[in-house]
Amino acid sequence: MTSRRTEELFGFWGAVFELFRIALRAILSSKMRSFLTVLGIIIGVLAVVAVVSILQGVFASFLSQFESLGGDTLFVRPNYEMFKSHQEGVRRLKMTYEDALAIARDVSQVKEICPFLMRTDTIAYHGRNDSTQIIGTTESYPQINSFFPEQGRFLAPMDVAARRKVCIIGQDILDKLAMPLQSLGEEIQIGRGTYTVMGILEKKGGSFGQSEDDQIFIPLPTAIVQYGQDAANSIFIEVQVRDAQKMDDAVERISAVLRREHGLKFGDVDDFRVFTRDEILKIIKQFTSVSTLIVGAIVSITLIVGGIGIMNIMLVSVTERTREIGIRMAVGAKRIHILYQFLIESVTLSTLGGVVGLGCGTGVAHLTVFILRKTVSETFPAAFIPYWVVLLSLSFAALTGAIFGVYPAVKASRLDPIDALRYE
Amino acid sequence: MTTVDSEILIQATDLVKDYPMGEGSYRALNGVDLTVRRGEFIAIMGPSGSGKSTLLHILGCLDTPSSGRYLLAGTPVHSLAPDELAGLRNREIGFIFQMFFLLPRSSAVENVELPLVYAKLPPSTRHHMALDALRFLNLETHAKHRPNQLSGGQRQQIAIARALVNKPSLILADEPTGNLDSVTSGNIMGLLKKLNEMGNTLILVTHEQDIAAYARRQVRIRDGKIVSDEVIRS
Ligand SMILES: Nc1ncnc2c1ncn2[C@@H]1O[C@H](COP(=O)(O)OP(=O)(O)OP(=O)(O)O)[C@@H](O)[C@H]1O
Ligand SMILES: [Mg+2]
Repeated sequence: MTSRRTEELFGFWGAVFELFRIALRAILSSKMRSFLTVLGIIIGVLAVVAVVSILQGVFASFLSQFESLGGDTLFVRPNYEMFKSHQEGVRRLKMTYEDALAIARDVSQVKEICPFLMRTDTIAYHGRNDSTQIIGTTESYPQINSFFPEQGRFLAPMDVAARRKVCIIGQDILDKLAMPLQSLGEEIQIGRGTYTVMGILEKKGGSFGQSEDDQIFIPLPTAIVQYGQDAANSIFIEVQVRDAQKMDDAVERISAVLRREHGLKFGDVDDFRVFTRDEILKIIKQFTSVSTLIVGAIVSITLIVGGIGIMNIMLVSVTERTREIGIRMAVGAKRIHILYQFLIESVTLSTLGGVVGLGCGTGVAHLTVFILRKTVSETFPAAFIPYWVVLLSLSFAALTGAIFGVYPAVKASRLDPIDALRYE
Repeated sequence: MTTVDSEILIQATDLVKDYPMGEGSYRALNGVDLTVRRGEFIAIMGPSGSGKSTLLHILGCLDTPSSGRYLLAGTPVHSLAPDELAGLRNREIGFIFQMFFLLPRSSAVENVELPLVYAKLPPSTRHHMALDALRFLNLETHAKHRPNQLSGGQRQQIAIARALVNKPSLILADEPTGNLDSVTSGNIMGLLKKLNEMGNTLILVTHEQDIAAYARRQVRIRDGKIVSDEVIRS
């Protein structure tokens, strides 16, 4: 009873293991050729894994950035998409501090409102020069963005009202300008202006592209004075509403106020866009699905190119091993044994290719991030390989081997034993 | 089955084999009748191209006749499908070839194991059986050698071990000494004779009279027909 069990068990798994062993021996007996055979699969899987893991890293950090944006927050900016080019939009559209004040005044749903503008500018302290992102904003910024000072204070209403030349700096600025830890009251140069440091922000860590620690905050009216009319016309506005359930009402009211302020007539297109968190997440998801589509296309090409390579070599291999097939048939191998032998060989080969591609792809992704960090941005998000990419790429590799291995395997199994033995 | 019938291992009647040749076909066997009892040792002789190998392949279930009947231990081989033939070869037949036909990448013991792999025996069982077969031929010290590390005679002995290992009812040898020198040939023939004396049924194809002399019955074939069939008295 027991021994029959083991024999039955051996029947299936033993046979698979046996064929796997035979396959491995055949593959390893000509390593270079096996490598060249699966090169297509290796490169395909490598490309997919590298692209996906870099994109996934970016998405993950992007998403985490917007997670801090609450469900009760919305975001208004000029509708650049109405023009053919972004530059034209920047030139022709207006969104001003006054718009923000009008919203604050006329929309009852608003709990907090935070207008801001962003500029990149040079900074200097005791002869050290660098550049960073300057954000002109108001005292509402910390509340909406949950980003608070560690030392000193953030911008006060008086700083904004009196256009004071004061600034709040991020942690990275201390390093960039080699400032002492106790830097409150120090004076730094931002572009043409001299500003007094009133606060130092808590460390927030890296995020997509730009670190939030590599920023300097100054009062919005001061920024408008320093950066001029262009800056004054491209204000972005963040709004926190009283009731997240009534988000749609708030969006409607804000749109009405802005249309009135901008003098739009009935039928004119909105020259601004309002984003809620849900909408931003939707856009990110769309982007994700587009990139999934691209990855899918790469995978399909891999499947075909890699598969044809495998089929080609497996056909050669069947021809070269005709004698072996004849010998196996002569001692009792059935067609199905030969079929599975070659099928398992091509699946093993392509899966090994998938594993190599996965390893190389991971390496390439990390290397790319490393290089991007050195050249583009120090805070470029780390590559991230979700488990589904591992599963998917390996199963696609295996599937390729299976699909394109069928024809050579069938061809091998259909050989006549005598013809196969006679084959020279 | 009666006792008399059970003694008969092979009953071939009017075997015909046609090979397609261009437009028509070439008749390699032209009505062969052959009856073999268990325990016989037969040499099939005849000139080159007379159809000896063709007959042996049919008897060994490697090929099927174009017409005629072939019963092996009562099984109607002429009507079997390829996979049924494979099963029959695996259980009932041991084949020895002139060119040895060993797997070059496998060791001696793995080559001997091969029929047992397709008999679905567990690895340890078949390994032991293969080693037993090698030991019987005094070759267990060469179990781990690959074919290209062995002499021609040793290779043929490995092939004989492979033919024996599944304890077949019938051992077939197609010019087994054709690639060997005369001393080694003598050793191989001595071995085959010993197998016959142990009760195995053997059919051997050869050109050479002194090889055929080891057998107890000689069948001569010419142009696809049996021209003589005589028992040798020793
Ligand atoms: N696959 C085939 N296709 C066509 N003709 C074949 C085929 N196999 C064998 N023949 C022909 O059948 C005839 C008998 O061949 P067979 O191999 O049985 O001869 P043989 O008696 O074994 O000869 P030898 O002693 O040279 O080995 C030969 O004339 C050969 O040309
Ligand atoms: Mg022959």
